[in-house]
Amino acid sequence: MAQMRNVVITGAGALCAAGQHPAEIWSALNAGVSALAPIRQWDTTGWPRRVAGEIPDFDAVSLLKDRKIQKFIRRSDVFGLYAAEQAIVESGLTAYRDTLDEAAAAHFNDRTGVYVGSGGGSYQSQYDYFPLLSAAQGDLQAFGRELGDTVNPMWLLRTLPNNVLCHVGIRHGLKGSNACITNHSVSGMLAIIEGAQALRYEDAERVVAVGHDAPIEPQAVLYFHQLGLLAQDTIRSFDRNRDGSLFGEGAAALVLETAASASMRNAPILGEVLGSGYASDGEGLLAISDDGAALSDAISMALEDAQLQPSEVGVIVAHANGTRQSDASEAAAIARVFGADMPPVTGFKWAFGHLIAASGIIETVQALCGLREGRFPGIATLRDLDPGIVGLPVSVAAFTPRSDVALVISRGFGGTNAVVLIRAASGG
Amino acid sequence: MTSKRRVAVTGLGLVTPAGNSADQAWNTLMAGRSCVAPITRFDASGFPVRIAAEVKGFNEAAPIAERKQLKFANRSHRFALAAAEEAMRDAGIRPSPETRRRWGCAVGTGMMGMEFADLIRLHRHSAAAGELDVRRLLEDEVALDPMVFCRSQTPAGVSLLLRHFGIGGYATSVHTACASGGQAVGTAMKLIRRGTADYVLAGGFDSMITPIGLAGFCLLSALSPDNETPQRASRPFDASRNGFVLGEGAGFLVLEEWSAARQRGARIYAELAGDGNSLSSYRITDSHPSGDGPIQSMQQALADAGAAPADVTYVNAHGTSTQMNDRSEAAALRAVFDSQAKDVAVSSTKSVMGHLIAAAGAVEAVICALAIRHSTLPVNANLRELDPECELNIVRGEPRRRRINIAISNSLGFGGSNSCLALRNPEEVDGRAGGRA
Repeated sequence: MAQMRNVVITGAGALCAAGQHPAEIWSALNAGVSALAPIRQWDTTGWPRRVAGEIPDFDAVSLLKDRKIQKFIRRSDVFGLYAAEQAIVESGLTAYRDTLDEAAAAHFNDRTGVYVGSGGGSYQSQYDYFPLLSAAQGDLQAFGRELGDTVNPMWLLRTLPNNVLCHVGIRHGLKGSNACITNHSVSGMLAIIEGAQALRYEDAERVVAVGHDAPIEPQAVLYFHQLGLLAQDTIRSFDRNRDGSLFGEGAAALVLETAASASMRNAPILGEVLGSGYASDGEGLLAISDDGAALSDAISMALEDAQLQPSEVGVIVAHANGTRQSDASEAAAIARVFGADMPPVTGFKWAFGHLIAASGIIETVQALCGLREGRFPGIATLRDLDPGIVGLPVSVAAFTPRSDVALVISRGFGGTNAVVLIRAASGG
Repeated sequence: MTSKRRVAVTGLGLVTPAGNSADQAWNTLMAGRSCVAPITRFDASGFPVRIAAEVKGFNEAAPIAERKQLKFANRSHRFALAAAEEAMRDAGIRPSPETRRRWGCAVGTGMMGMEFADLIRLHRHSAAAGELDVRRLLEDEVALDPMVFCRSQTPAGVSLLLRHFGIGGYATSVHTACASGGQAVGTAMKLIRRGTADYVLAGGFDSMITPIGLAGFCLLSALSPDNETPQRASRPFDASRNGFVLGEGAGFLVLEEWSAARQRGARIYAELAGDGNSLSSYRITDSHPSGDGPIQSMQQALADAGAAPADVTYVNAHGTSTQMNDRSEAAALRAVFDSQAKDVAVSSTKSVMGHLIAAAGAVEAVICALAIRHSTLPVNANLRELDPECELNIVRGEPRRRRINIAISNSLGFGGSNSCLALRNPEEVDGRAGGRA
């Protein structure tokens, strides 16, 4: 396409165990401090896995300054709304809208979209039926009869996977094109990708992209442990002794705009989304192909989409989830695309855990921090590079990216691989 | 944009209460026969609502040849595999190792959750007193069975489809409640238009006819309580309507880049010509009485298709049969079609097969493609006395024979997402009929 519209970034927001703002999280990453800690939401005495990246002193009311909304949403939604609000405020999007006359503001809202990557739900939401099941004592007739006396009538609404989409729209009056993506770990990255595509192809002039998740719950921890995916105490990406990933929780958001929309309202430009790629192994929910072929194809597609050469990529923010298979196949995919000319590689999950649906987008927000500063932290927990991962330029040491372009990788269940290329705004 | 790639619909598949193939379901729609009946899947006798539109006579083992994969699939995933297989066979094309990266998959997926039998077992072992005892969870066979996890994950369905068909490109699973299926098909269209894919398997699947699914909607008083007259219960746009009826199933379409589809001599049911996608941002369950939200999605879909309101022959309405939806949607239709509203035929096929929730939009897109193919507009069953606030040209009594230029399908979800798909008669694109009978 000859005239592809440029997609710029005008606002960012994030919260996770390592901080409640992108800059705060960035400081923690640079200090080499991991926020992974023993789980506090329930008593993990005797549990095989006890560590995660929880948001400390979680308080929905103080985060959202809204008492009423709590009745309609759950923990993960609170994170999503909070991150979205940060990004929107930083971009000045709604402040600008509020200066417009009624008709212009209505048009502005219709042309502003919302793209959300959502964890999709929790086991705990179903536990709301436990008191009723106890009262009914196994009698389904009684279960039906006593339903209205025991369960919150808002149960279904509170449980909707698309609550963040809905409430970002209502709180900020945004009414444009939208999606709620429930595609496991790549959901947040797909929110960026589909939001950017909506701008390129004129479905919208501005979009808010959000990813949110709260996967730290007892039943999920047991399942991930059964599947051999959880580490004992920390995430050691690419290390010889890595033994798995650990859950984190939180959210991140980006405000994306066409260059024309941003310049019309003199918005601060933080960076640019240059391109994206996506490919699937397609070998089943839990299977990952050892050669990383789908990931290397996704990276090549993104480079082509952005019209960049591999040598122009300054840094790779890897998925680096710390599991044996994912890290090894990711390294293989990177080597296949970049050959001997690999840019420095880092990863962030060691600092705040794996935010599942929010992982790709929070790591993109943090990558933008690094590009703007011209400096990235290494992987603080890395001791001894896996000898099977030859030549991957990854270490504990901080480094300077070799250009202002970052490749960010996100991978999920189903063998899905989604990548974006971003650039920091010059002079940023 | 002059270089816009066109998207052809070349394969269709359905598993619905009205029949377990596209042909069967179409025949039931033509007969205008309601599929709503007392719930048989579990003992619903204590619930305030005891009726639904269930999929009947479906062999749950049939869609999955690999026995090892069966345990990864819940009921809705099996609907999806069966409907997708039908659509692929109908299209007569499949991913190959050479084309797999050019195949995408976009699906509307139901809500995540454990199956009810698993929830009961978990409750009995680890929460008998009414609250979860995490120490007991450590020994709970439900919590120690990774298959329960696999079936309950939102990407479980899309993962099964990718594996079953060998799809290796863009894959996504979306959820915007009742708009999910429509938004998935719209996303799929864009993947081809934008060159991300050349072929997409698109669809939706859901099965909420379970104690928890039924409970959720009962608590919201969203369902018709007409337990004594199930066949009459779903009556969109009727003055006496009083709620929707829960359905279940799956609908799938194979989409291809138009010129390639013509080149291989594929049967083309329709051009998937436009997608409209808006957010109402009004209230979480309420639709705006003026139709604000759906108005924009319909206008966008028409603009995207390069069509005017006068080009539209048929509207497959969201038409849930709730007081609020049908009035708001009727207001939106009148606003979009204005003086032409009387010429545009409208029906809600939920009158026959109930509301398939996350599958509804995809199933109804399939119905629009069939309506174009057969030059016949399905009937809005059960309409006796039209609500004067829903004054529209509704297809009542029996189906109407009429050649369709453009058909549109609305899907409006809890949470305010609105989807509108526009499908165009293939003759209007290149003067050639769909091909291959």
